Amino acid sequence: MSPRSRLVLASAAGMIALALAGCTAAAAPESASGSAAPGTRSVEHARGTADVPDQPERVVTLEPLELDTAVAIGITPVGAAVAGNVTELPSYLGVSDVAPVGTVPEPDLEAIAALKPDLILGTESRHSELYEQLSAIAPTVFIASQADPWRENATLIGEALGREDEVAGLLTGVDDECARLKSEYALDGQTVQLIRPRDETTLSLYGPVSFAGSLLECVGFTIPDREWEDGLQADLSPENIASATADHVFVTAADVDDRSAIPAAVASAFPDATLVDTSTWVSGVGPKGAEAVLGDIERYLSANR
Amino acid sequence: MTVTTRPGRGILSVGVVAAILAVAVIASLALGANPLAPPAVIDALAGRGTRETSFVVWDLRVPRTVVGLIAGAALGAAGALMQAFTRNPLADPGLLGVGAGAAFAVALGVSLFGLSDPGEVVWPAFAGALLVTMAVSVIGASGPGGPVRLILAGVALGAVLSGITTAITLTDPEAFDRMRGWNAGSLLGAGLDDLGAIAPFVAAGAVLAFALAPGLNAMALGDDVARSQGVNVGRIRIGVIVAVTLLAGAATAIAGPISFVGLMIPHVVRWIVGPDQRAVLPLSLLAGPVVVLAADILGRVVIAPAEVPVGVVVAFVGAPLLIALARRRTARAL
Repeated sequence: MSPRSRLVLASAAGMIALALAGCTAAAAPESASGSAAPGTRSVEHARGTADVPDQPERVVTLEPLELDTAVAIGITPVGAAVAGNVTELPSYLGVSDVAPVGTVPEPDLEAIAALKPDLILGTESRHSELYEQLSAIAPTVFIASQADPWRENATLIGEALGREDEVAGLLTGVDDECARLKSEYALDGQTVQLIRPRDETTLSLYGPVSFAGSLLECVGFTIPDREWEDGLQADLSPENIASATADHVFVTAADVDDRSAIPAAVASAFPDATLVDTSTWVSGVGPKGAEAVLGDIERYLSANR
Repeated sequence: MTVTTRPGRGILSVGVVAAILAVAVIASLALGANPLAPPAVIDALAGRGTRETSFVVWDLRVPRTVVGLIAGAALGAAGALMQAFTRNPLADPGLLGVGAGAAFAVALGVSLFGLSDPGEVVWPAFAGALLVTMAVSVIGASGPGGPVRLILAGVALGAVLSGITTAITLTDPEAFDRMRGWNAGSLLGAGLDDLGAIAPFVAAGAVLAFALAPGLNAMALGDDVARSQGVNVGRIRIGVIVAVTLLAGAATAIAGPISFVGLMIPHVVRWIVGPDQRAVLPLSLLAGPVVVLAADILGRVVIAPAEVPVGVVVAFVGAPLLIALARRRTARAL
């Protein structure tokens, strides 16, 4: 028997013991599912069912969306994995004291275990191989894929955190804000493009299913149809930049005040393009990021009314 | 003298490769991710194009074709010089630390000075390449050992600098992002005014390379034989270092690190014309841009409407091509 399977067996035995102990305890408060141990709820997720604490207090997030959603409902995770190309948590979240636990593609299991979390949130499409090890540390809930519509993912995270009502409220708030902007600015029929310059030879356009794309469409803009990869994005050579022509053009940038960072092809085709912050428009997937993006859209609309 | 000379074959080959290069240049202007019809391209070249076609032809295809010509020629000639000089068919310009020096300077530029525009890193990259090869020559030139000592110095210094470059980019997210683009190699980075300023360095390197060819032929049989023929081995050695630095440094500055061209081109050329450097150098100079432009064109059309960077295509296509050629023929001695 390999050491690893022995470890799995030992932790399984431990869990059974805990479950038995739970059964003998006095009547526990009613939980969402009858089969879960007292003080816990069963959450169905991309990898099966997990028994998570009713009110998790030490949460570790491995996906930006999970961090954003947790912060949005007032839970500051004890640890979070950061995107592969950054060293700190995004500043728009306005939280500090979150321990870094490796990168989103490569979380650091030792750092996670050292935080003694009571709930770990991850992503099946990224962290599939780590599920057993993560579950041995703490109950683990996985969203299926970061490419799925972000509202559904946020809803599952709300359920895992025991705050589905609050997340639903935040999503309704996003919809209400969209509806308000939609009626105030009457953008029907006006086209929009969101361009992310990758390098000298590649520009990415974001589609209707993408995070910022869905927000642009919900305030009433139309993203012209093209061949999207999963509806998310489409890569373009600078030679074809003219095909991204639209009534409103947004270009993502690390520093929205530095116009010199716009690639020559984009600057020449769209001299009036509006720069928007990559950390929210691209990476800020979640209710808090949505709030920031809608705020940017409203500022743009009121300035160009 | 055992160096075989085939002057007739050399001249014929130069003519054929020059004709292929002309075709590559025309294709580079005519083909791209945007499927413009040939008449539209001709109109745009003549100044009668629409805003879009003029932009595609004059702002994108013309500059990238010029960059491909200069960088390809420089890499081909620098590779031939390095292989002749070290008498090692596996040598390429990277052994002198050119690429590592350029990358280090670019990483410093983007992380310390916030350089973001691709055109802004041309001169730091060139300066980095020059400074590092100078340091390599100073370290490697002291004491006996010839080219081997020089290469060891280049590889060692290159490894140290690559380590520091990696450390910089891993701790600075923005530098990481920009270095990722630079490392892929691209003919679209440098502007036409940068090219005008870089071209004289390439021209000087090429002239120097041609001047060194007879001496390198003599040195092919060993330094002692060359000395007995009245060749100043020390002077040739310095000349080669200067020429390779100018050529490969300029190519890396305008196009980023494009691997394989400097290694592959001289091999193919020697299979065609034999080991006479007076034929190998000019032919490498002409064949380099053929490969670079062909790779760039392939990168533009293979996943249209998007593009693959030229450095990626060269590695993908160049490596199997070199393996196939190596399996069909024995590597030609120097």
